[in-house]
Amino acid sequence: MTLETEVQSLRQVPMFREIDPPRLKLLAFTSERVHFAPDQKFFDQGDAADAAYLILDGEAAVTIEGPGGATIRLALLGANALVGEMGILADQPRSATVTAVQATTALRIDRRVFLELLTQFPQIAIAVMRELAHRLEMTNQQLAQRRAV
Amino acid sequence: MAGARAAAGDATARQGAADLAASDPEAADAAGGLDRSLFRYIWRHSKRDQILICGVVLASLPLYFASLDLPRRIVNEAIQGHAFEHGNPTAKFLVLRLQTPDWFGGEWPLFDGFDVDRFELLFGLSSMFLALVLINGAFKYWINVAKGALGERMLRRLRFQLFALILRFSPESVRQSKASELATIIRDEVEPVGGFIGDAYILPAFLGSQAATAMAFILIQNVWLGLMAAGVVGVQIVVIPRLRRELLRLGRKRQLASRRLAGRVGEVVDGIEAVHANGAEPWERAEIGQRLYGLFDLRLRIYRRKFMVKFLNNLLAQMTPFLFYCIGGYFALKGQLSIGQLVAVIAAYRDLPPPLKELIDWDQQRLDVQVKYEQVVQQFLPERLLAVDASGRDEPLAGTLAVEDVWVREAHGPLIEGANLSLPLPVRLGIVSDGSPSASALARVLAHRIVPARGRVTVGGHDLGEWAPPALARRIAYASVEPVLFPGSLRDNIVYGLLRPPDPEAVPSSPEERRRLAEARRTGNPLQSLGGDWIDYRQAGVADAIALDGLILDWLRRIGMGEEVYRFGLLGLVDPARHPDLAGRLIEARAALRARLEADGMAHLVEPFDKTRYNRQATVGENLLFGVPTTPSLIGRALAEHPVVRRVLDRRGLTPALVTMGERIAETMLEIFQGLPMGHPLFEQFSFLSADELPEYEAILARRSATVASAEAHHHSWLTRTRRRWLGLERYSRADAARLIALPLAYIEPRHRLGLLNDDLREAIVAARAALHEALDAAGEGGVDFYEPDSVCLAAPLRDNLLFGRINHSSADAARLVTAAITATIAAMDLTDAVARVGLDHQVGPSGRFLSGGQRASVSLVRALVRQPDLLVLDGALSPMGETRARAVLDLLLDRFGRTASLVVVLPNERVAHLFDSVLEAKGTSFAQPAAGDANATPARQVAPAGDEAHLDR
Repeated sequence: MTLETEVQSLRQVPMFREIDPPRLKLLAFTSERVHFAPDQKFFDQGDAADAAYLILDGEAAVTIEGPGGATIRLALLGANALVGEMGILADQPRSATVTAVQATTALRIDRRVFLELLTQFPQIAIAVMRELAHRLEMTNQQLAQRRAV
Repeated sequence: MAGARAAAGDATARQGAADLAASDPEAADAAGGLDRSLFRYIWRHSKRDQILICGVVLASLPLYFASLDLPRRIVNEAIQGHAFEHGNPTAKFLVLRLQTPDWFGGEWPLFDGFDVDRFELLFGLSSMFLALVLINGAFKYWINVAKGALGERMLRRLRFQLFALILRFSPESVRQSKASELATIIRDEVEPVGGFIGDAYILPAFLGSQAATAMAFILIQNVWLGLMAAGVVGVQIVVIPRLRRELLRLGRKRQLASRRLAGRVGEVVDGIEAVHANGAEPWERAEIGQRLYGLFDLRLRIYRRKFMVKFLNNLLAQMTPFLFYCIGGYFALKGQLSIGQLVAVIAAYRDLPPPLKELIDWDQQRLDVQVKYEQVVQQFLPERLLAVDASGRDEPLAGTLAVEDVWVREAHGPLIEGANLSLPLPVRLGIVSDGSPSASALARVLAHRIVPARGRVTVGGHDLGEWAPPALARRIAYASVEPVLFPGSLRDNIVYGLLRPPDPEAVPSSPEERRRLAEARRTGNPLQSLGGDWIDYRQAGVADAIALDGLILDWLRRIGMGEEVYRFGLLGLVDPARHPDLAGRLIEARAALRARLEADGMAHLVEPFDKTRYNRQATVGENLLFGVPTTPSLIGRALAEHPVVRRVLDRRGLTPALVTMGERIAETMLEIFQGLPMGHPLFEQFSFLSADELPEYEAILARRSATVASAEAHHHSWLTRTRRRWLGLERYSRADAARLIALPLAYIEPRHRLGLLNDDLREAIVAARAALHEALDAAGEGGVDFYEPDSVCLAAPLRDNLLFGRINHSSADAARLVTAAITATIAAMDLTDAVARVGLDHQVGPSGRFLSGGQRASVSLVRALVRQPDLLVLDGALSPMGETRARAVLDLLLDRFGRTASLVVVLPNERVAHLFDSVLEAKGTSFAQPAAGDANATPARQVAPAGDEAHLDR
């Protein structure tokens, strides 16, 4: 796998869909490709958010610690899933634990570098805003639906 | 124990003082300051040499006179044949007569000479002339060398004295002076003074006597010609210097202006942060521009005047020969002057202007240098200096510490107004600051860093000023919020407080060392060699260097810097001469680490170096060299331009592949980094190219496209291709190719992921590796410390030597896991201390810039602690460490101090004040003891009842 395949993966992420190829390439180039062994943790709930991860290959589980120490699995992420991006944007501790379920390869997007790119290229910033607004919209709709029920 | 140490210290100090006075009167002289007059200064320190050289000058004069007289004899006696006038076939040659004035008996014959014919006389006299020229030349050579050495010795003495005086500057003088200006004085401004010193007495003696000899010679030949020459010389000597006075005035102005320029540049550099922050660059540029204009203007005025004077001088000098030819010729025609005399007079006159000119120059230089010297001395007036008094008390600081009515004033107002305090030592005193500088001022008064304007500080009834300064410096340690570190290693900085001159009795072992000592004696410089062991182990309470390292490490660990020093050690180089044990066990540790990684299933986290395999986690450059370069010509990109490397790459057919890789990298970088502003941090961190290189590589690629296009437009035959290659019309010129090859040298496939390497290329690189080793060995230049599995790579850091491979960064968390394995291995082999000792070699950089603020504070604190002072004063020294760590360190210090040694700490607030035996609270410019009943502020162990011994406030 080379930079090109990573750019293809990034393109699958809604947040990055609209961004010019050279910028995506820069994002990929400034990120690291890391391998996780099965059961190796990406990060723990409560850790400082220092990076977002784009899963290139493999699967990772998102879990939180429930009442009484039980682990609750929230989601299973596959290829082209982006995880941890809210943490680095909001500068908040990790809200969940992410663990590799099988041997997983991910693109680690460093928080500092990502913010640097946001300030440098308005196009990326707008793409991120659009995605966040979209998610907020979805949340609002869900809330409305729930109230209606 | 403290007593014993004190007594020992006492003895050392007295011995030191005695040595200073006895063995080196010159050094004691240096303490006395500088003479106001330059000539007196020169005479005081160099009369012996000056007299010796003057003596030689005088001895050379008769020979010089003879060399003037010979031309006359050659013309008159040999050529015109006056010696053979009365039909004599032969004449006497080498008749030696002692010429004395008539009243002394006239001539005294010494040797009657040989009989020679006319030709023999001519050749004899000519040879004599040549011999005299050689002898005079030899004299000149000796005199010049002796003069030069004398000047340089005096310059060395002067510079050293000035430096020694700077060390004695009072705190106010230090505040008033600018470091860069003082440095300029010592470096540049005394340089001409030194150059002049060699000439100060000798040049006038030498040239003056030479000119006088020539003048006397002319006068003897013909009084009128002599008077004429004297007249012109008189005008030169009287008029020209007057014209030059203005020059001096301008020169002085220029010196001041350029010193201010240096000071200003220094200020701007020191405050560059503020300049950037305020966007004041245009102002600073304009300001310096204005100063430069001023300097230029002064210089121009100096030039105009200088060359005008020169013109006049030359005119006068050229007038005289005219008069000689004219009037001398007239005398010769009338028979009052022989042709030989005329020739000799003209020859003698030709010798007259150069010494005169030099004399006039000397006179100007004298005035100039005197002014410079006086200006330099102005900066070092005795009132700016602290008294030097090596004698005094050297008792331990014990008894009652009393502060009696102490006032401290600064330019902008009083800091302390009438502070009183009385405490029995040892004590742990906290001074709670109220945000004003008065708490810090009191701490500095107690540390004897400032002397109060009024009142006094006594210990056991004796004023602190009664202690000898070196003794006090040993007994009181003071650490401030701004630690001062010097470039050097951590260890150098920590033992800075333990440096004492080594045994001066050391017998010089080598001729070189003897010479160094003799020169030091002649110039009043210190006799101690820097190579000796300057560390006073006794004061630190340890036996030797290893024990001292142990002590330092112990302190560093206790105050929480152990981890960092250990890390420095892992990144440091192991010098087998200094760490023989560690170097001896490195290979063993390497194997142990490998075994541990394998046992823990972490073997894949490190890709070991293998001579026969490509290391995927290392750069292409590293894979080619397979070692650590030690010369700049092999480091980084320089490798691409190294002729041996290039030859191997060419021969192995790797050049085209690397150029293609470089091309791809350059294209990618141009694509993805285009649009980022110059100097953006992402460039530094990620790009193969720096921002300012982008256009250059763009141009390289553009040139390539043009060449390729032109090649396609022409025929593709082998012949054309070869011809084009000959013409340098390949796709790239050799320089462009080198620039491109430089890029893939830093390429690591798993990290950069541009898909540029395949197995064939990797194999080719490994094959080239062996060829490169051979070629570099054959070139015999060295410059690479190759990786060998069974030996230590001295140029590589300790960590790399242990790993003997590269960490696989594409595995998550690899660095942390591998570091943990390294630490465990080192601990298991009991090498932790040895590694930390390597860490003590870590360079701190200029002003400790390579360290963090907390680290600098730790180093400064340990520097104070290893000295085992009687009194430790911490004036904000813990604040850079951060609150939690500062608290831990404070607890540690409170535990250590209070039994034999005392501790004074300036506290930012009263939160921890209750831990101290005694507490003072700063209130404006006075101090109060905290109100009783305030639980927080009540001392845990009240040493003295309030009102009795702990008498406070005014």
